[in-house]
Amino acid sequence: MSRSITLRSDTGQLSFRLVPRTLVVALLLLALLLCGLFAGLTLGSHPTSFPAVINALLQPEQSDIVLIVHEIRLPRLLMAIIVGAALAVAGLILQGLVRNPLASPDVIGITGGASVATVLFLTLGGAQLNESWLPWVALLGALVVALIITLLSGSSSVMPTRLILIGVGLAAALGALTTLLIVLSSDATAMRAYVWLTGSLYASQWKQVSSILPWVALFLPLALFNARKLDLLVLGDQLATGLGSRLAAERLGLLVIAVALAGAGVAFAGGLSFIGLIAPHAARRLVSGGHTGLVIVSALLGSLMLVSADLIGRLAFAPRDLPAGIFVAAIGAPFFVYLLYRQQRQER
Amino acid sequence: MSQLYPPFCNRTAIITLLALLTLSTSVFASERVIKHAFGITHISGKPERVVSLYQGATDTAVALGIPPVGAVESWLEKPMYSYLREALEHTDYLGLETQPDLESIAWLKPDLIVGARYRHEQIYPLLSRIAPTVVPDTAFDFKAMLKLIGEAAGRQQQADQLLNQWDKRVESTRNRLSRQLGKGWPQQAAVISFRADHARIYYDSFARRILDEIGFDRPNSQKKDGWGIKLTSLESIPAMDADVIFIFMRQQDPAVQRTFQRWQQHPLWQNLNAVKNNQVYLVDPITWNMGGGILAANRMLDDLNALYSPQDTPGSH
Repeated sequence: MSRSITLRSDTGQLSFRLVPRTLVVALLLLALLLCGLFAGLTLGSHPTSFPAVINALLQPEQSDIVLIVHEIRLPRLLMAIIVGAALAVAGLILQGLVRNPLASPDVIGITGGASVATVLFLTLGGAQLNESWLPWVALLGALVVALIITLLSGSSSVMPTRLILIGVGLAAALGALTTLLIVLSSDATAMRAYVWLTGSLYASQWKQVSSILPWVALFLPLALFNARKLDLLVLGDQLATGLGSRLAAERLGLLVIAVALAGAGVAFAGGLSFIGLIAPHAARRLVSGGHTGLVIVSALLGSLMLVSADLIGRLAFAPRDLPAGIFVAAIGAPFFVYLLYRQQRQER
Repeated sequence: MSQLYPPFCNRTAIITLLALLTLSTSVFASERVIKHAFGITHISGKPERVVSLYQGATDTAVALGIPPVGAVESWLEKPMYSYLREALEHTDYLGLETQPDLESIAWLKPDLIVGARYRHEQIYPLLSRIAPTVVPDTAFDFKAMLKLIGEAAGRQQQADQLLNQWDKRVESTRNRLSRQLGKGWPQQAAVISFRADHARIYYDSFARRILDEIGFDRPNSQKKDGWGIKLTSLESIPAMDADVIFIFMRQQDPAVQRTFQRWQQHPLWQNLNAVKNNQVYLVDPITWNMGGGILAANRMLDDLNALYSPQDTPGSH
């Protein structure tokens, strides 16, 4: 294994281990993400020139496209970056936690909980209640289901296998409930629910960005600080215990972080399902050397995936603005196949 | 300076000022306060550049003589229903009703936007920043929608005129039906639709409300709250029964046709009163369900008047 750099605080409470390759990859991804950001700010159903966009950002009072750049494009791009990172890191943690590469927020029922809560809100209360509550209802749904899964899988130790089995079972049940609710609802509600379930960043505004930002600003660094615990957990229970890991407490802590990140992402962007699964895998292909690097690279990849998916959704069929979720799958699925193909070739 | 201006000049100035003041208050008076589903919107003048974000609003705007500068695509006959297409020759299309293209809306620089309550609640703050936006309470009540859009667009007179004409037409249709059907009036009517994998009975919809207004009755089993019910089992066919059944569906869709054939061939279907009376009518889904405005409503009355034309009313012979 290559040389690694370790950053450690005096007390040893905080410690990061990074390999140089991770830094290079992260910087490259960051550059790509910035390109995506500029593309997203410049491109739209009507082309706007790059200087005009910069002018709109720097001197809003002198620009006639300030509404388009500052109120329509920018918040949506920021939302894509935040949600993409949150879902990717949630997926990474869950995969490490249950030591199963197919774990992701949607497989173990967290997305399902948010979906049921959202569709229930839309069918029963949507007419009377204010739709700005929707993200919080979705988040509540995700948290309740996560709590149920944790309790059922043995609150003391959060057993990986039981966690995933119960999660998959619950996800199936919640999926059935969602379908039932949609069947009972009117056309307008059903269509609204479908768009939500596909996952869309349409209508992201500064208000939503400022609502999700505190969550992610709290839990993403927490994920980074706790990533090294995953390095131990993936070695197996016995070895991890032997190396000084307080299994139960650490698992629970990591689970809370994953659920909070996934819940926040799903709350504001709907049932985007593929990112939490794909981004960590792609990250593992790109870098090695511990979960600290993986958290950073996964987050960047998740953001990049969602920014590009949303950009395609906005542009490819303009003026039709299509949900990003469609294109996350369209980008993610071939990429997943490519990863499997490469892995197979390397094993030969 | 004061020598240059004789005293009477001051008086003229005051009078001019007063005149200006009166004028400006009258301009203020023309600012209308519109209450709608998402709050209160202030609109002044006579908006000319209207953006319509759902089908019923497009129909209504055309009826009021203000074809929208931007409108969302229709669900059939894309990009716009043929009965509206001529009026919308210069209209920009804004994508789908579910996610209309916000940038295109902003580029159009509209002075009035009409949104739908169940689709555009989240983007309402953005829409309001682009232009004054009004949102009717429900998409089914085309008359309330006409009043609201008429008021918002400063065309209350046209709206009232259209509503008066409508009331007269409804009354004459009601009188004719009652004369023609005698004891058979009021008829119990059912509004049914077939989809690719199920059938629907409507308890509340655009067509249902117009039938109710004309005076059609409905079977007790269909006097329920909510929009209606989806039926997937052929055993539910008897729930559709009524004196007359109006059916609309996407007839070009082979999957819908197959479902309809399958239900129609079932013995229970043959047992329906409306089928026995030969009073099952296939009607246009655009007129009866999707158009959703006063123009579509009038076309629906045309349909009814043609279906119940005095020469060949199936129920009467």
